[in-house]
Order: sequence, then structure tokens, then C-alpha cells
Amino acid sequence: MVEKRNDSASDGWQGPTGRRTDEWSECLTQIAATGDRAAFTRFFRHFAPLIKAFALSGSSLSAAHADELVQEVMLKAWQKASAFNPEKAAASTWVYTIARNCRTDMFRRLQKFDTPLAADDFMPDQEPSEPFAMLQSRRSRDTIHALMGTLPPDQAQILAKVYMEGKSHAEAAAELDLPLGTVKSRVRLAIQKLQIQIDR
Amino acid sequence: MAKFHPRVDLLTEYVAGILPLAQSACISAHLNYCPQCQQQSARLQDLGAVLFDSLTPVPVGDALLNTVLARLDEEPPLSYRRAQDPAVGRLPALLQRLMKGDFSELSWNKITSSLRISYLKTGDPGYEFALYHIKAGGKIPEHTHRGSEMTLVLQGGFSDAAGSYHEGDFLFREASDTHAPTALQSEDCICLAVLDAPLRFTSWKYRWMNPFLQLRAG
Ligand SMILES: [Zn+2]
Repeated sequence: MVEKRNDSASDGWQGPTGRRTDEWSECLTQIAATGDRAAFTRFFRHFAPLIKAFALSGSSLSAAHADELVQEVMLKAWQKASAFNPEKAAASTWVYTIARNCRTDMFRRLQKFDTPLAADDFMPDQEPSEPFAMLQSRRSRDTIHALMGTLPPDQAQILAKVYMEGKSHAEAAAELDLPLGTVKSRVRLAIQKLQIQIDR
Repeated sequence: MAKFHPRVDLLTEYVAGILPLAQSACISAHLNYCPQCQQQSARLQDLGAVLFDSLTPVPVGDALLNTVLARLDEEPPLSYRRAQDPAVGRLPALLQRLMKGDFSELSWNKITSSLRISYLKTGDPGYEFALYHIKAGGKIPEHTHRGSEMTLVLQGGFSDAAGSYHEGDFLFREASDTHAPTALQSEDCICLAVLDAPLRFTSWKYRWMNPFLQLRAG
């Protein structure tokens, strides 16, 4: 599940300036600049199947809701394309964030929450603006990608449950018949192994 | 800068988008005070993106593509443009939206001579989301919790047996910790508290109030 791409060269990382030139970031920039529907179609064919996989992961949503989510995320990507900043994030991180927010909102809609807040409102007021933020993100993605294969399967499994299946640690613990503390410590260990733990 | 932070496993649930809405709002508010946690969240988001990229794609038919193509000329919802309401003053924009005004315009419930509480509506049916205003030097009577309690200091500060906490500090207590926070002498303290069960006063002077402290979720 975590093994599809092992060549970080396909990310197209380049040079010390932090400039990002991967295919999908370029495609998204083009969509924003010219409203290019052919470019959007290519973008859709790449990301829609990932969004659908995300929606169906752990059968968290029905097939009909999964299609609805794909539609919502792709439409939002089109409408917000001009807000995409390739200096700040890779297109796939950007799409993942939209998909995550749309899924959270969909869960809350299905549970009939009456709330004035949408998942987008939970993003911090200012994003980190240090010049090296982007470089760090690029490096951390490369590192995570390279180290993912070294994670013990029980740690990788928990990460997939939390991030992709949208299960809380308590739900993951119940499902795997593990104490909650074990689940939390596997999450913490995985984060250390992937070298993304920050001193706070 | 904040000294007390959510643990990394809690931040992971926040970044994965699976925390209950009210708790998520509290962590989001902490992030507005805390560059380190913002940075940690950014790394955890990179992790989410790597996992997303590595999913096994599930085929999507052309019918869905055509439906989306046919909708591209629709006007985007207004909310997409609202996303970056600039925060006025120091409070996180998310909190300002829930408060719809400043502290003086909220409706406050007086609990003791030095404590009043204002309940905000988040729409989360499982959690109470409230502002606590403690007068300078004032004390919250010793109490315990049947559930969990998240606290974020918004103004001033307070101390309890375990330490002292200032603007931006975040605390998470599990059920049955007993504590008696006291506001710092220098100024009034305002905290955000997110609870999943009502607090219970333990001292005999205030115990009679317990039946009145129903959880006000929603
Ligand atoms: Zn922090």
C-alpha cells in the first residue's frame, strides 16, 4: 500500500533554490493561469483515482459518497487553483489537504452537525513564511518517502488507519484489539523513525 | 512563546482531520500562538501527503470526469473567499468567528465571585466549548473531571500545583485529575476550555453546585 513509488526522482526536485518543478505542480499552475481544460483533464485522471482510494479507504464512505467526494475535491481544486503557490507546497500535498478537509466536512454533514465552521476554517491564520519552509517540506517529503519502507509493519499500519482510513487512535485500538497507549506509542515511534519530530 | 504543547500523537489526529470538531478548534487556536507546533503540523501533513500519494488508485470512470467538466463554470461558493478573514487583534480568527464580538459582548454566567463562564456554540454535540474568565488572583474551586479537558490560555495566565501557564499554553488533562487553578496576580485570565463531561467541584463549599454544572455541548 505504501510501496508504489520508490524513485524520488519522479518528484522532480531541483536545485537549492527550493523551486519546484514536478509535473503536477506545473500542471496546476497552468490550470490557474489559463483555465486550460485539457490540463485539468490530465490532472483529474491522475488525482481522481487517488481521491477515490482515499474516500474508500477502510470503507469509511459508501461508493456514492466516494464519487461525490471526488467531484467536490476536483471542483474545488479547479476553483482554488489560483491560490496554489508552488513555492509553498507540492500539488499533491495541496490536493491531499483539500481531500482531507472535504472528507472531514462530509463526515460532519453525514452526522448532521449544525456548525458554523468548515474544515478550511481550522487552518492557522498565517502559514509559516520562513524562506526555508518550502525547502524543509521538500526535504521532509523526500525523507519520509525514503524511510517509509523501513517502518515496522505495525507502525505503518497505524499510520494508514489514522491518516487514510480516518480512524482515531481509540478506534484503531479497538479495531486491532490493542491498548490505546500502544497505538499512541506506535504513532510516536513512527514519527521519530521518519525524522519529522520537531523539538518543542 | 508557548511552553506547553499538545503531544505529537494528538497533533497527528488533528492533522489527519479526525479530532472532534471542538477539540480541533482548540488545537487550531494553539497553532496561532505557536510556530513550533505549526512546523510540527506541517511535517505531519507532509506525511499525510506521502501516504496519499502511495495509495493504490481506484479507477474513476469518464462519466464522473464529464460531470465535473460540465460544472467548471459554476460560481465558487462564497465560503472559499471567506477563508482568510484577517484576525483582528491577537485572538485567532476561528475564535473570533465563534465569539461574534469581543469578551465584553459575550453573555457570561457567574459561577463564583472570581469565576464566570461563557459558552460558545461550535455545533459539536459531544463537547462543551467555553471561555473561563478568572479575576486576577482568583481561584477556580478545586475540581475534578469525569472526562477530558483541553485548556488554552488566551489572556493573562494561571497556575496550579503542576506549574504556571501563560498566553498560548495548551494543556490536556485526562479524566479524574484534580486541580485548583489560580489566576496570576497581575491580570485577569481568560482561557478556552473544551470538556466532554461536566467538571465537578470537590470542596464541600462548592459541591452543592455540581448538579447545576451540566455539560453544555453543541
Ligand atoms: Zn505548541
